[in-house]
Amino acid sequence: MTCEEFKLQLTAFSLGELGPDEHQRARDHLAGCDDCASRVLMDRQLTALLRASAVPAPETTRTAVLAAVRTEARGEASPSAPAPERAGRPAPSPRRPARRRHWVALAAALVGAAAVLAAALLVVPAPDPGSPLSAAWSSYHHRGEDGLGIPSEAEADRLFAVLGPASRTPDLSDHGLRKAGWEERDLAGHVAAVAEYRDAEDGRVTLMRWRGELPRMAKGTEGGELAAYTWGRHTSYWWQADGVVWCLVGTIEKDRLSGIAESLRRES
Amino acid sequence: MDLDGFEAATVPHMNALYDAALRLAGDQATAQDLTQETYLRALRSFGTFEPGSNARAWLLRIQYNLFCTQYRRGRRMPLVWLDEDEADPALDLPSPEPGPEEQTVRELDREAVRRAIAQLPEDFRMAVTLVDINGLTCAEAATVMDVPRGTILSRLHRARRRLEAMLLPELGRVQADDL
Repeated sequence: MTCEEFKLQLTAFSLGELGPDEHQRARDHLAGCDDCASRVLMDRQLTALLRASAVPAPETTRTAVLAAVRTEARGEASPSAPAPERAGRPAPSPRRPARRRHWVALAAALVGAAAVLAAALLVVPAPDPGSPLSAAWSSYHHRGEDGLGIPSEAEADRLFAVLGPASRTPDLSDHGLRKAGWEERDLAGHVAAVAEYRDAEDGRVTLMRWRGELPRMAKGTEGGELAAYTWGRHTSYWWQADGVVWCLVGTIEKDRLSGIAESLRRES
Repeated sequence: MDLDGFEAATVPHMNALYDAALRLAGDQATAQDLTQETYLRALRSFGTFEPGSNARAWLLRIQYNLFCTQYRRGRRMPLVWLDEDEADPALDLPSPEPGPEEQTVRELDREAVRRAIAQLPEDFRMAVTLVDINGLTCAEAATVMDVPRGTILSRLHRARRRLEAMLLPELGRVQADDL
Protein backbone atom coordinates (compact mmCIF):
# COMPACT_ATOMS: atom_id res chain seq x y z
CA MET A 1 0.00 0.00 0.00
CA THR A 2 1.28 3.48 -0.87
CA CYS A 3 0.84 6.60 1.25
CA GLU A 4 -1.69 7.95 -1.27
CA GLU A 5 -3.74 4.76 -1.01
CA PHE A 6 -3.55 4.85 2.77
CA LYS A 7 -4.68 8.50 2.89
CA LEU A 8 -7.82 7.58 0.94
CA GLN A 9 -8.62 4.87 3.50
CA LEU A 10 -7.61 6.80 6.60
CA THR A 11 -11.12 7.53 7.84
CA ALA A 12 -12.35 3.99 7.25
CA PHE A 13 -9.23 2.65 9.01
CA SER A 14 -9.68 4.92 12.03
CA LEU A 15 -13.32 3.93 12.33
CA GLY A 16 -12.55 0.21 12.05
CA GLU A 17 -14.66 0.06 8.89
CA LEU A 18 -12.11 -1.70 6.65
CA GLY A 19 -12.45 -5.37 5.79
CA PRO A 20 -9.95 -7.76 7.44
CA ASP A 21 -7.60 -7.91 4.42
CA GLU A 22 -7.59 -4.16 3.82
CA HIS A 23 -7.13 -3.55 7.53
CA GLN A 24 -4.07 -5.80 7.63
CA ARG A 25 -2.58 -4.09 4.57
CA ALA A 26 -3.11 -0.72 6.24
CA ARG A 27 -1.42 -1.93 9.43
CA ASP A 28 1.50 -3.30 7.44
CA HIS A 29 1.92 0.09 5.77
CA LEU A 30 1.74 1.94 9.10
CA ALA A 31 4.42 -0.25 10.63
CA GLY A 32 6.96 1.27 8.24
CA CYS A 33 5.63 4.79 7.67
CA ASP A 34 5.95 7.54 10.29
CA ASP A 35 4.12 10.04 8.07
CA CYS A 36 0.98 7.94 7.89
CA ALA A 37 1.28 7.02 11.59
CA SER A 38 1.22 10.78 12.23
CA ARG A 39 -1.91 11.08 10.11
CA VAL A 40 -3.58 8.34 12.16
CA LEU A 41 -2.61 10.08 15.38
CA MET A 42 -4.05 13.37 14.12
CA ASP A 43 -7.23 11.57 13.13
CA ARG A 44 -7.48 10.15 16.64
CA GLN A 45 -6.89 13.59 18.10
CA LEU A 46 -9.69 14.91 15.90
CA THR A 47 -12.03 12.15 17.07
CA ALA A 48 -11.21 12.98 20.69
CA LEU A 49 -11.93 16.67 20.05
CA LEU A 50 -15.21 15.93 18.29
CA ARG A 51 -16.37 13.57 20.98
CA ALA A 52 -15.53 16.08 23.71
CA SER A 53 -17.65 18.69 21.96
CA ALA A 54 -20.89 16.75 22.56
CA VAL A 55 -23.52 18.87 24.26
CA PRO A 56 -25.57 17.00 26.90
CA ALA A 57 -29.29 17.60 27.14
CA PRO A 58 -29.96 20.29 29.77
CA GLU A 59 -31.95 19.19 32.81
CA THR A 60 -34.85 21.40 31.68
CA THR A 61 -35.01 19.51 28.38
CA ARG A 62 -34.89 16.12 30.10
CA THR A 63 -37.68 17.11 32.44
CA ALA A 64 -39.84 18.51 29.62
CA VAL A 65 -39.34 15.48 27.35
CA LEU A 66 -40.09 12.97 30.11
CA ALA A 67 -43.16 14.93 31.22
CA ALA A 68 -44.47 15.02 27.63
CA VAL A 69 -43.83 11.29 27.17
CA ARG A 70 -45.60 10.38 30.41
CA THR A 71 -48.52 12.69 29.66
CA GLU A 72 -48.87 11.11 26.23
CA ALA A 73 -48.60 7.60 27.65
CA ARG A 74 -51.36 8.37 30.16
CA GLY A 75 -53.57 9.20 27.21
CA GLU A 76 -53.68 12.93 27.83
CA ALA A 77 -53.06 15.54 25.19
CA SER A 78 -49.40 16.44 25.06
CA PRO A 79 -48.82 20.17 25.50
CA SER A 80 -46.66 20.52 22.42
CA ALA A 81 -47.93 17.83 20.11
CA PRO A 82 -51.56 16.69 20.00
CA ALA A 83 -51.49 12.97 19.31
CA PRO A 84 -54.00 10.83 17.42
CA GLU A 85 -56.56 8.73 19.29
CA ARG A 86 -55.12 6.68 22.10
CA ALA A 87 -58.05 4.67 23.47
CA GLY A 88 -57.40 1.44 25.27
CA ARG A 89 -53.96 2.21 26.58
CA PRO A 90 -53.35 0.92 30.09
CA ALA A 91 -52.41 3.26 32.91
CA PRO A 92 -48.66 3.63 33.44
CA SER A 93 -47.05 1.54 36.12
CA PRO A 94 -45.49 3.18 39.22
CA ARG A 95 -42.23 4.88 38.38
CA ARG A 96 -38.82 5.07 39.90
CA PRO A 97 -37.57 8.60 40.56
CA ALA A 98 -36.52 10.09 37.23
CA ARG A 99 -33.34 11.57 38.65
CA ARG A 100 -31.87 8.19 39.46
CA ARG A 101 -32.68 6.93 36.02
CA HIS A 102 -30.72 9.86 34.54
CA TRP A 103 -27.61 8.94 36.45
CA VAL A 104 -27.94 5.33 35.41
CA ALA A 105 -28.25 6.56 31.82
CA LEU A 106 -25.21 8.80 32.16
CA ALA A 107 -23.16 5.97 33.63
CA ALA A 108 -24.22 3.68 30.79
CA ALA A 109 -23.27 6.32 28.24
CA LEU A 110 -19.84 6.81 29.81
CA VAL A 111 -19.16 3.08 29.91
CA GLY A 112 -20.19 2.90 26.24
CA ALA A 113 -17.87 5.77 25.29
CA ALA A 114 -14.98 4.13 27.13
CA ALA A 115 -15.58 0.90 25.26
CA VAL A 116 -15.55 2.72 21.91
CA LEU A 117 -12.28 4.46 22.79
CA ALA A 118 -10.73 1.21 23.97
CA ALA A 119 -11.74 -0.42 20.70
CA ALA A 120 -10.23 2.50 18.76
CA LEU A 121 -6.93 2.08 20.59
CA LEU A 122 -6.76 -1.59 19.65
CA VAL A 123 -6.89 -0.94 15.92
CA VAL A 124 -4.22 1.79 15.85
CA PRO A 125 -0.59 0.89 16.46
CA ALA A 126 1.37 3.09 18.86
CA PRO A 127 4.04 5.31 17.28
CA ASP A 128 7.54 3.87 17.17
CA PRO A 129 9.24 4.91 20.47
CA GLY A 130 12.20 6.29 18.49
CA SER A 131 10.12 8.37 16.07
CA PRO A 132 9.85 12.20 16.07
CA LEU A 133 6.18 11.76 16.86
CA SER A 134 6.89 10.01 20.11
CA ALA A 135 9.51 12.62 21.01
CA ALA A 136 6.94 15.38 20.49
CA TRP A 137 4.55 13.69 22.90
CA SER A 138 7.23 13.30 25.56
CA SER A 139 8.23 16.93 25.21
CA TYR A 140 4.62 18.06 25.53
CA HIS A 141 4.15 16.16 28.78
CA HIS A 142 7.47 17.19 30.28
CA ARG A 143 6.68 20.82 29.57
CA GLY A 144 3.34 20.39 31.32
CA GLU A 145 5.12 19.06 34.39
CA ASP A 146 7.79 21.74 34.43
CA GLY A 147 5.39 24.67 34.10
CA LEU A 148 6.09 27.76 32.03
CA GLY A 149 9.53 28.98 31.05
CA ILE A 150 10.74 32.09 29.29
CA PRO A 151 10.00 32.80 25.62
CA SER A 152 12.77 33.25 23.10
CA GLU A 153 13.63 36.79 22.00
CA ALA A 154 11.80 36.21 18.70
CA GLU A 155 8.69 35.05 20.53
CA ALA A 156 8.82 38.03 22.86
CA ASP A 157 9.11 40.37 19.85
CA ARG A 158 6.17 38.67 18.18
CA LEU A 159 4.05 38.96 21.31
CA PHE A 160 4.86 42.66 21.59
CA ALA A 161 4.05 43.22 17.90
CA VAL A 162 0.65 41.57 18.31
CA LEU A 163 -0.35 42.72 21.79
CA GLY A 164 1.70 45.86 22.40
CA PRO A 165 2.21 46.78 26.05
CA ALA A 166 -0.42 44.19 27.02
CA SER A 167 2.19 41.51 26.26
CA ARG A 168 4.26 42.50 29.29
CA THR A 169 3.94 40.43 32.44
CA PRO A 170 2.42 42.73 35.08
CA ASP A 171 4.01 42.98 38.52
CA LEU A 172 1.59 41.47 41.05
CA SER A 173 3.93 41.48 44.06
CA ASP A 174 1.54 43.90 45.83
CA HIS A 175 -0.94 41.03 45.74
CA GLY A 176 1.55 38.57 47.18
CA LEU A 177 2.28 36.90 43.84
CA ARG A 178 5.71 36.28 42.35
CA LYS A 179 6.33 35.69 38.63
CA ALA A 180 6.91 32.01 37.87
CA GLY A 181 7.37 32.18 34.10
CA TRP A 182 5.73 33.31 30.90
CA GLU A 183 5.50 32.11 27.34
CA GLU A 184 3.82 32.42 23.99
CA ARG A 185 1.03 29.95 23.44
CA ASP A 186 -1.39 29.23 20.64
CA LEU A 187 -4.76 29.61 22.30
CA ALA A 188 -7.86 28.78 20.24
CA GLY A 189 -6.14 30.08 17.12
CA HIS A 190 -4.71 33.22 18.70
CA VAL A 191 -1.16 34.13 19.62
CA ALA A 192 -1.46 34.50 23.37
CA ALA A 193 0.86 35.77 26.10
CA VAL A 194 0.56 33.52 29.14
CA ALA A 195 2.11 34.47 32.49
CA GLU A 196 2.16 32.31 35.56
CA TYR A 197 2.45 33.45 39.20
CA ARG A 198 2.76 31.67 42.55
CA ASP A 199 1.97 32.86 46.05
CA ALA A 200 3.67 31.89 49.34
CA GLU A 201 1.38 28.86 49.74
CA ASP A 202 2.19 27.74 46.18
CA GLY A 203 -1.23 28.88 44.95
CA ARG A 204 -1.13 29.29 41.18
CA VAL A 205 -2.47 32.20 39.10
CA THR A 206 -2.29 32.39 35.32
CA LEU A 207 -2.89 35.46 33.18
CA MET A 208 -3.64 35.07 29.46
CA ARG A 209 -3.96 37.79 26.86
CA TRP A 210 -4.69 37.69 23.15
CA ARG A 211 -6.06 40.01 20.51
CA GLY A 212 -9.67 39.22 19.63
CA GLU A 213 -13.21 39.13 20.91
CA LEU A 214 -14.29 37.93 24.33
CA PRO A 215 -15.46 34.30 24.08
CA ARG A 216 -19.22 33.94 24.19
CA MET A 217 -19.03 32.28 27.60
CA ALA A 218 -17.40 35.38 29.08
CA LYS A 219 -19.84 37.88 27.63
CA GLY A 220 -21.89 38.21 30.78
CA THR A 221 -21.28 41.93 30.99
CA GLU A 222 -20.83 44.88 28.68
CA GLY A 223 -17.38 45.40 27.15
CA GLY A 224 -14.82 46.85 29.52
CA GLU A 225 -16.32 45.42 32.69
CA LEU A 226 -15.18 42.32 34.50
CA ALA A 227 -16.99 39.11 33.56
CA ALA A 228 -16.82 35.97 35.69
CA TYR A 229 -17.19 32.47 34.34
CA THR A 230 -17.41 29.55 36.73
CA TRP A 231 -16.61 26.09 35.48
CA GLY A 232 -16.27 23.18 37.86
CA ARG A 233 -14.68 24.42 41.07
CA HIS A 234 -12.89 27.36 39.48
CA THR A 235 -13.86 30.83 38.33
CA SER A 236 -12.08 32.74 35.60
CA TYR A 237 -12.28 36.52 35.19
CA TRP A 238 -12.42 38.14 31.77
CA TRP A 239 -12.30 41.61 30.33
CA GLN A 240 -11.35 43.33 27.11
CA ALA A 241 -9.25 46.47 26.68
CA ASP A 242 -8.10 48.04 23.40
CA GLY A 243 -9.02 44.92 21.44
CA VAL A 244 -7.07 42.63 23.77
CA VAL A 245 -8.84 39.89 25.74
CA TRP A 246 -7.55 39.35 29.29
CA CYS A 247 -8.30 36.21 31.25
CA LEU A 248 -7.22 35.52 34.83
CA VAL A 249 -7.58 32.08 36.38
CA GLY A 250 -6.05 30.46 39.41
CA THR A 251 -6.22 28.09 42.34
CA ILE A 252 -6.31 30.87 44.95
CA GLU A 253 -9.42 32.03 46.79
CA LYS A 254 -12.10 33.45 44.49
CA ASP A 255 -12.46 36.86 46.20
CA ARG A 256 -8.72 37.43 46.08
CA LEU A 257 -8.56 36.45 42.42
CA SER A 258 -11.42 38.78 41.50
CA GLY A 259 -9.70 41.62 43.41
CA ILE A 260 -6.51 41.07 41.40
CA ALA A 261 -8.52 40.92 38.16
CA GLU A 262 -10.31 44.17 39.01
CA SER A 263 -7.01 45.86 39.77
CA LEU A 264 -5.46 44.62 36.50
CA ARG A 265 -8.54 45.68 34.55
CA ARG A 266 -8.28 49.24 35.85
CA GLU A 267 -4.63 49.40 34.77
CA SER A 268 -5.11 47.78 31.34
CA MET B 1 -48.23 0.76 26.23
CA ASP B 2 -45.04 -0.41 27.92
CA LEU B 3 -43.87 2.92 29.28
CA ASP B 4 -41.17 1.35 31.46
CA GLY B 5 -39.82 -0.58 28.49
CA PHE B 6 -39.91 2.53 26.33
CA GLU B 7 -38.04 4.66 28.85
CA ALA B 8 -35.47 1.95 29.54
CA ALA B 9 -34.76 1.68 25.81
CA THR B 10 -34.76 5.37 24.92
CA VAL B 11 -33.89 7.62 27.87
CA PRO B 12 -30.19 6.56 27.91
CA HIS B 13 -29.93 8.11 24.42
CA MET B 14 -31.41 11.50 25.23
CA ASN B 15 -28.01 13.23 25.33
CA ALA B 16 -27.22 11.92 21.85
CA LEU B 17 -30.64 12.95 20.53
CA TYR B 18 -30.36 16.43 21.97
CA ASP B 19 -26.80 16.88 20.68
CA ALA B 20 -27.82 15.81 17.17
CA ALA B 21 -30.93 18.03 17.33
CA LEU B 22 -28.80 21.00 18.36
CA ARG B 23 -26.39 20.48 15.48
CA LEU B 24 -29.27 20.13 13.03
CA ALA B 25 -31.53 22.88 14.29
CA GLY B 26 -28.93 25.33 15.56
CA ASP B 27 -30.63 26.72 18.64
CA GLN B 28 -31.52 25.31 22.03
CA ALA B 29 -35.26 25.99 21.94
CA THR B 30 -35.72 24.23 18.57
CA ALA B 31 -33.40 21.44 19.68
CA GLN B 32 -35.61 20.81 22.72
CA ASP B 33 -38.77 20.84 20.56
CA LEU B 34 -37.20 18.46 18.07
CA THR B 35 -36.01 16.11 20.84
CA GLN B 36 -39.41 16.11 22.50
CA GLU B 37 -41.31 15.52 19.26
CA THR B 38 -38.92 12.70 18.40
CA TYR B 39 -39.61 10.99 21.72
CA LEU B 40 -43.37 11.36 21.27
CA ARG B 41 -43.22 9.88 17.77
CA ALA B 42 -41.00 7.07 19.02
CA LEU B 43 -43.49 6.35 21.81
CA ARG B 44 -46.33 6.08 19.29
CA SER B 45 -44.39 3.68 17.11
CA PHE B 46 -42.61 1.77 19.88
CA GLY B 47 -44.55 -1.33 18.78
CA THR B 48 -42.42 -1.42 15.62
CA PHE B 49 -39.12 -1.25 17.52
CA GLU B 50 -37.28 -4.56 17.59
CA PRO B 51 -35.96 -5.30 21.08
CA GLY B 52 -32.21 -5.79 21.00
CA SER B 53 -31.66 -3.60 17.94
CA ASN B 54 -29.87 -0.26 18.19
CA ALA B 55 -32.32 2.10 19.89
CA ARG B 56 -30.03 5.09 19.39
CA ALA B 57 -29.97 4.58 15.62
CA TRP B 58 -33.74 4.03 15.61
CA LEU B 59 -34.35 7.29 17.51
CA LEU B 60 -31.88 9.26 15.40
CA ARG B 61 -33.60 8.06 12.24
CA ILE B 62 -37.00 9.24 13.53
CA GLN B 63 -35.43 12.55 14.46
CA TYR B 64 -33.65 13.04 11.16
CA ASN B 65 -36.83 12.29 9.19
CA LEU B 66 -38.76 14.70 11.37
CA PHE B 67 -36.15 17.39 10.87
CA CYS B 68 -36.10 16.92 7.08
CA THR B 69 -39.88 17.01 6.76
CA GLN B 70 -40.88 19.64 9.32
CA TYR B 71 -37.99 21.62 10.75
CA ARG B 72 -35.53 22.23 7.98
CA ARG B 73 -37.21 25.29 6.52
CA GLY B 74 -36.35 28.57 8.18
CA ARG B 75 -33.74 27.27 10.57
CA ARG B 76 -30.67 29.30 11.33
CA MET B 77 -27.24 28.20 12.42
CA PRO B 78 -25.59 30.12 15.24
CA LEU B 79 -21.85 29.95 15.73
CA VAL B 80 -21.93 28.77 19.32
CA TRP B 81 -24.55 27.12 21.42
CA LEU B 82 -23.58 26.93 25.05
CA ASP B 83 -25.03 29.73 27.07
CA GLU B 84 -23.42 30.28 30.42
CA ASP B 85 -26.56 29.38 32.34
CA GLU B 86 -27.08 26.13 30.44
CA ALA B 87 -23.58 24.72 30.60
CA ASP B 88 -23.45 21.72 32.89
CA PRO B 89 -19.88 21.18 34.06
CA ALA B 90 -20.81 17.98 35.89
CA LEU B 91 -21.78 16.37 32.59
CA ASP B 92 -18.85 17.88 30.72
CA LEU B 93 -16.25 16.58 33.11
CA PRO B 94 -16.45 12.86 33.72
CA SER B 95 -12.66 12.60 34.14
CA PRO B 96 -10.62 13.89 37.10
CA GLU B 97 -10.84 17.65 37.15
CA PRO B 98 -7.94 19.39 35.39
CA GLY B 99 -6.46 22.65 36.65
CA PRO B 100 -8.18 25.96 35.98
CA GLU B 101 -5.94 26.96 33.06
CA GLU B 102 -6.45 23.58 31.45
CA GLN B 103 -10.20 23.87 31.96
CA THR B 104 -10.29 27.28 30.34
CA VAL B 105 -8.26 26.13 27.36
CA ARG B 106 -10.42 23.03 26.98
CA GLU B 107 -13.62 25.05 27.05
CA LEU B 108 -12.23 27.42 24.42
CA ASP B 109 -11.30 24.38 22.33
CA ARG B 110 -14.78 22.94 22.65
CA GLU B 111 -16.22 26.24 21.51
CA ALA B 112 -13.88 26.24 18.50
CA VAL B 113 -14.88 22.66 17.63
CA ARG B 114 -18.60 23.43 17.80
CA ARG B 115 -18.07 26.47 15.61
CA ALA B 116 -16.08 24.44 13.06
CA ILE B 117 -18.71 21.69 12.91
CA ALA B 118 -21.47 24.29 12.49
CA GLN B 119 -19.66 25.59 9.40
CA LEU B 120 -19.82 22.21 7.62
CA PRO B 121 -22.51 21.57 5.00
CA GLU B 122 -25.54 19.88 6.57
CA ASP B 123 -24.88 16.41 5.09
CA PHE B 124 -21.29 16.45 6.36
CA ARG B 125 -22.34 17.84 9.73
CA MET B 126 -24.92 15.11 10.23
CA ALA B 127 -22.49 12.33 9.25
CA VAL B 128 -19.93 13.65 11.77
CA THR B 129 -22.64 14.01 14.43
CA LEU B 130 -23.93 10.48 13.96
CA VAL B 131 -20.65 8.60 13.65
CA ASP B 132 -17.89 10.63 15.28
CA ILE B 133 -19.82 12.18 18.12
CA ASN B 134 -22.63 9.74 18.80
CA GLY B 135 -20.87 6.49 18.00
CA LEU B 136 -23.04 5.00 15.25
CA THR B 137 -21.39 2.70 12.71
CA CYS B 138 -21.31 3.87 9.10
CA ALA B 139 -23.98 1.28 8.25
CA GLU B 140 -26.27 2.63 11.00
CA ALA B 141 -25.68 6.21 9.91
CA ALA B 142 -26.47 5.17 6.34
CA THR B 143 -29.84 3.85 7.52
CA VAL B 144 -30.55 7.06 9.43
CA MET B 145 -29.74 9.28 6.46
CA ASP B 146 -31.10 6.84 3.86
CA VAL B 147 -27.94 6.86 1.73
CA PRO B 148 -25.38 4.11 0.89
CA ARG B 149 -22.70 3.32 3.49
CA GLY B 150 -20.02 4.45 1.04
CA THR B 151 -21.62 7.90 0.91
CA ILE B 152 -21.37 8.20 4.68
CA LEU B 153 -17.70 7.20 4.58
CA SER B 154 -16.99 9.69 1.82
CA ARG B 155 -18.79 12.52 3.68
CA LEU B 156 -16.93 11.68 6.87
CA HIS B 157 -13.60 11.60 5.09
CA ARG B 158 -14.12 15.00 3.48
CA ALA B 159 -15.61 16.50 6.64
CA ARG B 160 -12.66 15.33 8.73
CA ARG B 161 -10.09 16.77 6.37
CA ARG B 162 -11.91 20.13 6.50
CA LEU B 163 -12.13 19.99 10.30
CA GLU B 164 -8.44 19.17 10.57
CA ALA B 165 -7.58 22.27 8.57
CA MET B 166 -9.85 24.41 10.77
CA LEU B 167 -8.72 22.95 14.10
CA LEU B 168 -4.94 22.67 13.87
CA PRO B 169 -4.16 24.55 17.12
CA GLU B 170 -6.82 22.63 19.06
CA LEU B 171 -5.54 19.30 17.70
CA GLY B 172 -2.10 20.07 19.07
CA ARG B 173 -3.51 20.31 22.56
CA VAL B 174 -5.23 16.93 22.66
CA GLN B 175 -3.40 14.91 25.27
CA ALA B 176 -2.54 11.24 25.15
CA ASP B 177 -4.97 10.63 28.00
CA ASP B 178 -7.83 11.88 25.84
CA LEU B 179 -7.19 9.45 22.99
